[in-house]
Amino acid sequence: MALTVDKASKSFPGVRALKDASLELRSGEVHALMGENGAGKSTLIKIITGVHRPDGGRLLLDGQDVLFASPRDAIRLGISAVHQERNLIPRFSVAENILLENLPRRTGLVDYARANAEAKKYLEMIGLVVDTRTEVRHLSVAQMQMVEIAKALSHEAKVLLLDEPTASLTGEEADALFALVQRLKAQGAAILFVSHKLEEVLAISDRVTVLRDGETTLIGEPMANMTRGRLIEAMIGRAERIAVVRPPKAATGAVKLEASGVATAAGHRDISFTVRRGEILGLYGLVGAGRTELARALVGKDKLSGGTLSIDGKPAVIRSVEEALKRHRIGYLSEDRKYEGVVLLHPIRFNVAMTIWDRLARFLGFQTAAGERRATEPFARQLEIRTPSLEQSVGNLSGGNQQKVSLAKWLAAKVDLLIIDEPTVGIDIKTKAYIHELIGKLADDGLAILLISSELPEMVALADRILVMHEFRIVDGFDNDRSYEAMSRKVMGAIHRHSDEAVAVE
Amino acid sequence: MGAFFRLQWSGILVGIIAGGIALALSAPAFLSEFNLFVLLRSICVSLLVAYAQMVMLGVGQMNLSVGALGGLVAVVTGGLMDALGVPTLPAIMIGVAAGGAAGFVNGWLTVRTGINGFIVTLATASAFAGINLGITKAVPFYNLPADFVAFGNGRVGLFPLLLIVPLLVTVVLALFFARAVPGRHMLAVGGNAPAAQLSGVSVPRAIISAHVLSGLLAAVAGVLAVAQLGSAQPTIGSDWLLISFAAPIIGGASLAGGAISIVGTLLAVVLIGLIQNAMVLVKVDPYWVQFLLGALILAAVWFNRYRAIKVGEI
Repeated sequence: MALTVDKASKSFPGVRALKDASLELRSGEVHALMGENGAGKSTLIKIITGVHRPDGGRLLLDGQDVLFASPRDAIRLGISAVHQERNLIPRFSVAENILLENLPRRTGLVDYARANAEAKKYLEMIGLVVDTRTEVRHLSVAQMQMVEIAKALSHEAKVLLLDEPTASLTGEEADALFALVQRLKAQGAAILFVSHKLEEVLAISDRVTVLRDGETTLIGEPMANMTRGRLIEAMIGRAERIAVVRPPKAATGAVKLEASGVATAAGHRDISFTVRRGEILGLYGLVGAGRTELARALVGKDKLSGGTLSIDGKPAVIRSVEEALKRHRIGYLSEDRKYEGVVLLHPIRFNVAMTIWDRLARFLGFQTAAGERRATEPFARQLEIRTPSLEQSVGNLSGGNQQKVSLAKWLAAKVDLLIIDEPTVGIDIKTKAYIHELIGKLADDGLAILLISSELPEMVALADRILVMHEFRIVDGFDNDRSYEAMSRKVMGAIHRHSDEAVAVE
Repeated sequence: MGAFFRLQWSGILVGIIAGGIALALSAPAFLSEFNLFVLLRSICVSLLVAYAQMVMLGVGQMNLSVGALGGLVAVVTGGLMDALGVPTLPAIMIGVAAGGAAGFVNGWLTVRTGINGFIVTLATASAFAGINLGITKAVPFYNLPADFVAFGNGRVGLFPLLLIVPLLVTVVLALFFARAVPGRHMLAVGGNAPAAQLSGVSVPRAIISAHVLSGLLAAVAGVLAVAQLGSAQPTIGSDWLLISFAAPIIGGASLAGGAISIVGTLLAVVLIGLIQNAMVLVKVDPYWVQFLLGALILAAVWFNRYRAIKVGEI
């Protein structure tokens, strides 16, 4: 089966997400779809899977025009999307999840014996060995993903869409997935592989389509003609992806935070590091490595179960977020901007002043809008928040400007240590470069920064030192010499070494 | 012991046994046949009320109108028998059907308007209670068929005849949620609605069906309450809301939806019945019963949450 998207366009209020984007997917191939965050990948995927209808352009299946009214139409015609663990029902068994819409029944009741036998058939097809009666919530992320693929096969999917399938997999799990992808391809499936990891794409895809700012900059280019450089250029329009490189600098500032042998209930063991003022310490790891959980413990959201912290040279215990902020001057910029970063319905001044209300309080503790505006203005100017007025609700700002508002909040609170978690997720390339520049400047002004990111280029561009976290431990740490290739080798080496060790121990 | 502690309802069973032993030792009247009959009879209505809410939690919704709906069905059924002289069985059938219809209204409004089911049922609760008062002018229907009232008070040894209904319902519901496709679909929607939808499960249909089922269960509870009291009181249902949530949640249901336990709910209702019975036996000042019941239910939910965290369920 061949799926063709011909010059599809899609606009949302205020943004043109896709402009004449095209894609041509054939059976028996692995086709990569690449692009930066915000390039339009997810919009294109949603058009293919029937979630969105394009404003213009055509969608063809085997040369026939098709129109999907809902995702179910797409599934019925053999197009299935595999997302990460999102499409399963946690408390249902593996068998029931695979066969949900088509449970075998006998005299009106579900026939579990037959369901288990049937599900087993699909599990064998993909080589997953689990008991079909296991509740899905007890499986690993990798297993859940395999179950989703089995489910797609039960729909007789001819077109399989894998959306960032390796984001939370270990190296070996990813290899197992790729082997499966090759088998499905050999059986004639058309596989659309959505990823922004260059190595993976280069390794397993036959052709590639690249999106940039809603337009397709490469359409179905054979991978044989591709190089890293060409792919990066197609994605970001420049041969060099790293926009701002902070010049390497020896950290000379006073130590702000020292962790020794820290352990948490989440599973961290023996975490030790120091962050100095004026330094950006990078904490790199795959999704699920335990980086965000460590940040939560450092700002007092979760408790430490072992080890000690010292702040400004004195032993310290952080019992609450309030204490972290007010006594120790530590702030945390969450990766989840919409839920933990900003209050979308409230104006900019409200969001920025939130951390300093007690300082702004007047007679009997009342705040004034004017007071909040006065406190916000310098930071809005410093960070160039683009808005007609500080009364604008944050929900009406672009992702980049929202991120600037959450940054401004911590600047207003005058923290000495800012933990920044995935600062550029969902932010367009230009703003991204600006936010990188800004983070660099904050460090130059003497702020200690702990930067959490799963984007290695971001790490290499910003961090002075890089710690590698894997399975809730810090497995390696080294100075950043600003060479992407070298750092990438070191970081991946550290992670792979420790994944192998874990297996060897088992 | 470890495996037993892992069962969602293990704590409740321990509570029932310990409470039962303590009561038997401190109040000899507890083990009298009549007291046990009273205890079992008090469980009948509560259990159906708890199931009416449990079904909604299963699909990931709530029904704040269980009490008002059951109360309305109670006076409709009583009114048909008393004022219109309709025979027992047809009157009950019409009453229960009215409950199902009221549930359908709840479900249809939730799905159709997109308004949160919490608000929809809060509003319909007021509406149902209003119809109740409009029909009765707050005066109960007393003149009910003798066989109907006899069924409500009859017993075989310590077992009330009334108990047949909730036991039957328990078996049917257990089968429905474990094996029937519509039941599994409801739990699928409660567990992950977008995923269920992408698998071809109709989310609106599951939600409406759950509301209808909830309405039917609350209606049966209303009818049983009338039989038990021997009169159709307009106040029936006014105190059901707490137990309707408390029992399924003590029993291990998740407010987030998709996870329910029928055994757990059953045991939780027994535990709550035991607490109420104990307060009568040890002669707690009636004015403080309400307070103690609230506090004890909170303690039971708290304990179960603690247990769930300990065994890593949460």
